[in-house]
Amino acid sequence: MKANVLAKKIAFFVGIVLVWQAFDSANVWSDKVFPSPLEVGASLWYGASDGTLFYGIGTSLWRLAVGLVIAIAGGIILGVFMARVETVNQTIGSIILGLQSIPSVAWSPLAIVWFGLTDAGIIFVTVAGAIFAVTINTYTGVKNINPDYIAAAQNMGAKGGQLITKVLIPAAFPYMISGFKQGWAFAWRGVIGAELLFSFLGLGFLLNVGRQLSDVSQVIAMMLVIMIIGIVIDGLIFKKLEDKVMSRWGLR
Amino acid sequence: MAKLEAKNIVKYFDHDGQPLKALGGINLTVDEGDFICLVGPSGCGKSTFLRIVAGLQKPEGGQILLDGRPIINTGPDRILVFQEGALFPWLKVQDNVEFGLKIAGIPESERHEISKRYLEMMDLTKFVNSYTYQLSTGMRQRVAIARALVMDPEVLLMDEPFAALDAQTRDTLLVEMQMIWQKTKKTIIFVTHSVSEATVLGNKVAVFTHRPSTIKKIVNIENKRPRLSEDETLMKYQQEILAELRPEVKSKGEEK
Repeated sequence: MKANVLAKKIAFFVGIVLVWQAFDSANVWSDKVFPSPLEVGASLWYGASDGTLFYGIGTSLWRLAVGLVIAIAGGIILGVFMARVETVNQTIGSIILGLQSIPSVAWSPLAIVWFGLTDAGIIFVTVAGAIFAVTINTYTGVKNINPDYIAAAQNMGAKGGQLITKVLIPAAFPYMISGFKQGWAFAWRGVIGAELLFSFLGLGFLLNVGRQLSDVSQVIAMMLVIMIIGIVIDGLIFKKLEDKVMSRWGLR
Repeated sequence: MAKLEAKNIVKYFDHDGQPLKALGGINLTVDEGDFICLVGPSGCGKSTFLRIVAGLQKPEGGQILLDGRPIINTGPDRILVFQEGALFPWLKVQDNVEFGLKIAGIPESERHEISKRYLEMMDLTKFVNSYTYQLSTGMRQRVAIARALVMDPEVLLMDEPFAALDAQTRDTLLVEMQMIWQKTKKTIIFVTHSVSEATVLGNKVAVFTHRPSTIKKIVNIENKRPRLSEDETLMKYQQEILAELRPEVKSKGEEK
């Protein structure tokens, strides 16, 4: 990152904290409703020092990772078959867009009935939130492959599983990356949403505990943590992956 | 001896829902070791014919015989070099060249041994670890030719592979292509829209009519190699081919 961009960002965040502190000092609302940045910081420090914060982060990230891996694997399989087998597209394909429009937390009641208040239930919600975005993008990617790639591969003897793993999936990868990016964002919302409803460990659970204890500092602290993890995962993993793929595939 | 025979190949295009007869019965005999160039007015279906020979498209009528046996599907005994190369951007040059060998299940050390020969022949050894976006158009076509040669096909099919190249790069590749042909003794069918390119490369040039196309004439060119684009001795062949092509191009103009 260039120095002046970094400077702008730092100035912006310092500005937000100062405005926030100014509102707090004006005493418009009570501290119970509107805590100061210092109080939120103290809440974070408290959570960090007794380990609950890190345990919460670890639990949520673990659920995210398992759910995302399942969603990506399942979404690729579904997407490839939808693109290559017309019957699959005409049947399963017709309901995928509908399923995609269901917010992930809306799967929670079903998950609680099927799996109880368990990790499996939360992971189910995560997968349900993410898998269809991966499916749709994979489908679009495979449909948009340069037909000469497929013809060349078949001409050189590729068919069946080899054609899928060695040509269709890598050729569709630029589109699939968009699916992963959307999928991960949906998965993260799914994890936090489900944890709020299940009240079974994780950052969403800590957020809910904050509400139950009327500890607004903790509520805001957890929202900040959820947001920061989002920025970090997007920037460190998905943005880098996307840049690399786009340049190698000659799309940038 | 006939290496490859096309017998009465008929193919229709879909033209706004109407069937349009593109190939009106192509008959062609290609002998072992021939370097045959196909020229014809644009839209006459010569590239389609090549894809039918490759088994990538099915004709509505007729059949292709390779060594006397009818071909059914596409396969590595007839490798096609595409106009835009169709190289895989997710693979390095070496892995692109070895793609077909890997599909065939040939072990890595043997793959490297085979690919090395053709990477050297195409002057690509310095670029084995490059990705295709790092290469010029000319380099990409070299990779595409190497990728085809490693398969050691019975017949090499080339679909206007030099059409997108600048004049200098094309001239270099025209000479190299003749050397490759002499070295490997491959049977080559080469589609081009350039009459000059056809006379430089081919020992035979087949002239297509406007669609529904048939083969109008086959011109034999015996000149010694390597031939260059500016060879004056090729002029009379070029004039002969152009004289055959001119009425075909004209009849296309009248159709519109």
